[in-house]
Amino acid sequence: MKEIVIDISSDGEIRIETKGFKGKACLEESEFLKNLLGKETYKQLTPAYYNTNKKKVKKYLQLCG
Amino acid sequence: MSHISKIELVIQSLEDLKEACRQLGFEFMENQKTYKWYGRWVGDTPLPEGVKIEDIGKCDHAIRVPGCTYEVGIIRRGDHYILLWDYYSEGGLVQKIGLNAGILKQAYTVARVRKEARQKGYRIRVKKIDQGVRLVLSV
Repeated sequence: MKEIVIDISSDGEIRIETKGFKGKACLEESEFLKNLLGKETYKQLTPAYYNTNKKKVKKYLQLCG
Repeated sequence: MSHISKIELVIQSLEDLKEACRQLGFEFMENQKTYKWYGRWVGDTPLPEGVKIEDIGKCDHAIRVPGCTYEVGIIRRGDHYILLWDYYSEGGLVQKIGLNAGILKQAYTVARVRKEARQKGYRIRVKKIDQGVRLVLSV
């Protein structure tokens, strides 16, 4: 399930976390929130960001013959 | 999980600030040009960026908070707004709007995200968490 979670602390700090997106879609989907709320001061990409739907190509070395 | 961001809030919408005031039971004083404070600069804290001593007490709009003797000033800075207020305990604002006006900023953020996310067709859930409020937007 694709979700954007926004935590707003009692001292006004805002943290945005995207869940369930693959690749750059998370950045595109949450871009409007950043424009809406202010300036991005920190960004951390997680492993899912690098996970796209492209098939992995496995290459094998020919060991004999 | 895909990515995590932290955002420094910039107040851009007066309408959403008004909505935040409504939610918190505060009174938005449109076009009130001064706000109540201690009345004399004592220099115990650094001034916010771009604010001079003679600017203190002047504003474009103000917020009146029930039970407080001091008020919050809203100052226009180009395309956004800043909040000025005196957190001297006698004014009573810290208890009502939070340190760094966090409670007011929180209500503003909820109002702003709710309106825009609804227009974009997201499903929105709001829940209380230990540190504040959580909004969950489902695609």
